Amino acid sequence: MRVGVEVGGTFTDLVAIDGGTVRVAKVPSVPRRPDEGAFQALQAGKLDLGAIKDLVHGSTVGTNAVLERKGARVAFLTTAGFRDLLFLQRHDRRNIYDLAYRKPTPVVRRRDCYEVPERMLADGTAERPFDAAAFERDVIPRLKAAGYEAVSVCLLNAYANPAHEEAVRDLVRRHLPGASITISSDVTREFREYERASTTTLAAYLQPVIAGYLARFEDTLGRHGFKGRFSVMQSNGGRLPAEGMRRNAITSLFSGPAAGVMGAARQAGLSGYANLITFDMGGTSTDVCLVENGRPSLAAETDIDGLPVRLPVLDIVTVGAGGGSIIWCDEGGMLRVGPESAGADPGPACYGRGGRRPTITDAHVARGTIRPDALLGGNLRIDAAAAASALAPIAEAFGLSPEDMADSALRVAEANIVRAIQLVTTERARDPRDFVLVPFGGAGPLHAAKVAADLGVGTIVVPPNAGVISAYGLIASDFVHYDTMTRRIALDDGAPAAVAEVFRAMRDGARARFEALGLARSACYTFALQMRFVGQAFELPVEVDAERAERLTVAELAELFGKVHESIFFHGAGTGRPIEIVAYRLGIVAPQTDVPALTEGGGDAGRTGDFALYDNRERQTGRLMARGALAHGVALAGPALLEDPTATVYVPRGWTARHDSHDNLVMTRG
Amino acid sequence: MRNLDPVDVAVVGQSLTAAAREMGAKLVRSAYSTVVREARDASAAIVDARGNTVAQAELIPIQLGSIGETLRPCLARFPAETLEDGDILVNNDPYQGGQHLQDVFIFSPIFVEGRVIAFAASVAHHLDLGGGAAGLNNSASDLYQEGIVIPPSRFNLPRDWNGGPFERFLAANVRVPAQTIGDFNAQLAANRVGAARVAELARRHGAATVTAVMDAMLDYAERRVRAAIAALPDGRYEGEDWLDDDGVGEEPVRVHVAITKAGETLDIDYAGTAPQVARNINAPFASTVSATLSCLKLVLTGPDVPFNEGAKRPITIRAPLGSLLNPRHPAPVRARMEPCYRAFGALMQALGKAAPERVMAAGYDTTTAIALSRLGPAGWQVHLDIHGGGWGARADGDGEDGIAGPLGNCANTPAEVVDAEYGYFRIAEYGLRPGSAGAGCHRGGTGLRRVFQMTEDNVGFALYADRFKLAPRGLAGGVDGWPARCFVERDGTTIPFRSKAAMTLRRGDRLVLETAGGAGHGPATARSNEAIFHDVEEGLVGDG
Repeated sequence: MRVGVEVGGTFTDLVAIDGGTVRVAKVPSVPRRPDEGAFQALQAGKLDLGAIKDLVHGSTVGTNAVLERKGARVAFLTTAGFRDLLFLQRHDRRNIYDLAYRKPTPVVRRRDCYEVPERMLADGTAERPFDAAAFERDVIPRLKAAGYEAVSVCLLNAYANPAHEEAVRDLVRRHLPGASITISSDVTREFREYERASTTTLAAYLQPVIAGYLARFEDTLGRHGFKGRFSVMQSNGGRLPAEGMRRNAITSLFSGPAAGVMGAARQAGLSGYANLITFDMGGTSTDVCLVENGRPSLAAETDIDGLPVRLPVLDIVTVGAGGGSIIWCDEGGMLRVGPESAGADPGPACYGRGGRRPTITDAHVARGTIRPDALLGGNLRIDAAAAASALAPIAEAFGLSPEDMADSALRVAEANIVRAIQLVTTERARDPRDFVLVPFGGAGPLHAAKVAADLGVGTIVVPPNAGVISAYGLIASDFVHYDTMTRRIALDDGAPAAVAEVFRAMRDGARARFEALGLARSACYTFALQMRFVGQAFELPVEVDAERAERLTVAELAELFGKVHESIFFHGAGTGRPIEIVAYRLGIVAPQTDVPALTEGGGDAGRTGDFALYDNRERQTGRLMARGALAHGVALAGPALLEDPTATVYVPRGWTARHDSHDNLVMTRG
Repeated sequence: MRNLDPVDVAVVGQSLTAAAREMGAKLVRSAYSTVVREARDASAAIVDARGNTVAQAELIPIQLGSIGETLRPCLARFPAETLEDGDILVNNDPYQGGQHLQDVFIFSPIFVEGRVIAFAASVAHHLDLGGGAAGLNNSASDLYQEGIVIPPSRFNLPRDWNGGPFERFLAANVRVPAQTIGDFNAQLAANRVGAARVAELARRHGAATVTAVMDAMLDYAERRVRAAIAALPDGRYEGEDWLDDDGVGEEPVRVHVAITKAGETLDIDYAGTAPQVARNINAPFASTVSATLSCLKLVLTGPDVPFNEGAKRPITIRAPLGSLLNPRHPAPVRARMEPCYRAFGALMQALGKAAPERVMAAGYDTTTAIALSRLGPAGWQVHLDIHGGGWGARADGDGEDGIAGPLGNCANTPAEVVDAEYGYFRIAEYGLRPGSAGAGCHRGGTGLRRVFQMTEDNVGFALYADRFKLAPRGLAGGVDGWPARCFVERDGTTIPFRSKAAMTLRRGDRLVLETAGGAGHGPATARSNEAIFHDVEEGLVGDG
């Protein structure tokens, strides 16, 4: 049996697959103790832990530790003269018109920042050698006196030569044997000191938290007879065995959205769809991601609470559009939806828990696409009258009927989602019409058709049990690890040999890491070069076939880069300007070959009937049925609603839906 | 909204804003010079066919509201209906709506069915545009010594660029042509992005809807600004601020403003401001307008209100011709940010009399620009960095420490980038400047300290800044921040600089810059013990 348990902010989802049997469960999360929620989900699924062969876990433990500043007590060590690195940051502002602007708050205090007597240069030579005696005399006693749990070390130009960082690590380890020590060259070997220091310090801050959490989790598992493999999800879309996570705690940030993308990609891939726009809409926000040839695109950097994390992560764009997004009219008379959300508490007005302001969910209730007897993650009863009265004031302000108001608000929310998708497609030189849309999450399948129509997308693939696809994504994910490093190489005749050398060194390092985890046997590699025209500050990723990484030619690299640059920036191809390679990203993947499929399961045919809705400025009558009751291959013409316990699919007029042999619901226009 | 569907207004309006944002992001990310790619001294906008900015990328406040000012003189000479495919309009003339010569504005007409329905506009600060010194000529006594002037002009890309006469002329007159031409290309490409997005919107929604939504967006911004103004009490409010000096003499230079608020309108009059000065610390009128609008947006409306041409309708701005804030041609204007910051300060003070709870005390509030340049065997290298400092405190909180100025938003250049790209100097220290913040119930932000170590001889150094002599003043009983200073340590001696200076540095010199701390707000005796202990434990007071 394979089991995925995904702890989210509101719900903990479980998917268990044993042969052809699929079990799903959804229980409320326990915010302070995520592992309790996870074990409750295991109990709700009535699983025998001894029978689980493969257990994969994703949680918000790391994310919450940062957001609530509940990580380890960290000391930050950096090059003499740069103690304030984490406080200065890049000294710009995210929001340029705010007198009360505050920079993101670092996870260490200024009094916990120390200077190391040394200075490395960009070419890897030392301008000032590391003065170990002075460090032992001046810094070590202060570290010991303060009793830190973790130490973060980021020295200038350590990406070029980590010797000083390693020497500092060894000394600190000798004097503070109990502390966990993280050096920047182990986490990310890329230049730009603030971003690297921020990443390293967050890694140090999370290490003891994640290690403790996983140890507790494994202990509880063991006491309940679990003997299988336990692994943990990462933000890069892959998993690692729990023991591998102890060195990589920071990659567990944002693993939930990544798991959803992986689950959607795997499930849509069964039906032969490899080029996807995934669209995950929940209660407060929507996450979108581009998948090409079955592989989600990666971003080189993300941030948490404004603090940069310079590590490869799935390139997921988030907008504040969810079922709980508030519908409002601003003081200039503009119709707005979100980003403010009614959240889980009080939630939309129709939940009858005290919410008074209209939300997207209320708009669905008002126009009939969420039924009063719908199953919304448990035993909620929908209060249609409360939805209508919440919408009434704004409808009056715009001089619209409540139904037209609902319709207008949904279109504005859908336009917000369309813009998020344009960020990952049009703005990155991809035509959305070349992709299929894969909606999931509780609300994704309700909006997919309108979003697809706006983008010109003709095919929608709704995975089975679309509301718990993240938990399936845990089971479906491969073992993945990425290494990055900066080494500037001019694109001239010497470049291919230099690139080959970098590739071999990175590949051997990654393989050793996977060998230690017992994963190297079937490993394969991905390789990307970060390139730019000489003089530019930002690099573009150029993916190359890892098989050919040792045989690339200058002309080939120049052409690949020119194409990418031209497609994104509208200039640059064939200009003959000098090019340089700045950084490298190597991925090692141990693929999962025998991933079981997710299925929908049967549905209650007794729920089938007609329902009234309002769409496109007119009253319509649609077909309502349990999703599981729609037999394979039978075409269902919209308007129709297909419900299952995890999500509702809306098929508008002009669209047709049919289940294929993998239980994917394929919607097409016409 | 003129019978427009509210959904169209929301959807098309936000798409236009998204187009401007995408243009700005791509301009910055594909640019070559540090001042664009790191300091983000650039902007991009969608402008309607009459020259009204409709949507603008939020990159840097000082470009706010001035893009239309540079397009209109172009359109007066080359009306939209006479433009052809491939045409661009270019202008950098401070006396034709521009700011300083380094800011080159490029406009690309967006044709739909043969008619111009809008312009894609971009502006970038070009690191070197010729003139009497690399990057920054502090001794210029007129405009001609500051660089080449491109008056409102029409060029045709296929004919004049990519080896054509305009490109060759430009390349021949600047010190680092690869960089300048690269940045022009980034601007042209940003315009192509904007044009493609607007054309696509017109295809989907119809050109008539798109232009009607543009009008609605102007009206919308106007309504929101009128509502914000109406919330202030009617009356006349005055404020003033002073520059250290004019860069030559020792006397402080005054900026004065009187705001008259009546109903939903504001009249901003800079009468009483000092006459224009001999050196480059003059602000062309477009810069004065931008500084004024930025301050009003920060104080009155906050981040949520889009500022486009419509926002300017309820506001009149005047400055006497021949004054520091509206000089006569051909006065030099390169360091126009300094008088702009004093206009900002004077306005903040005046607004504080109308709405004391919404303003901030004086901060370091200057553009502190350091240029380090060197002519090596491979040609010129020019480095320009704009430095942050401490912000003033507010009635409801401390000022932020070590951050970009309120009219700019320049990021610092990482020390590792300097190490990798410049062989003639290094950053040896970079940190906060403990003790520099003014005390108060809420304290100001602390300034910055940065030390540059020269590793070669013959490094050209130029500085413009302010608040070296006159400290940021406290508000409501708060204490002043420390003024800024800059000096070089050479052979055991210290050579101090005034706020506008230049010198040739040599190997071994340590150039030290310390920027001003922000002033405090309210009496220091009212500060909470908790906040005091925090600052002491964090080493932010005293000498750290």
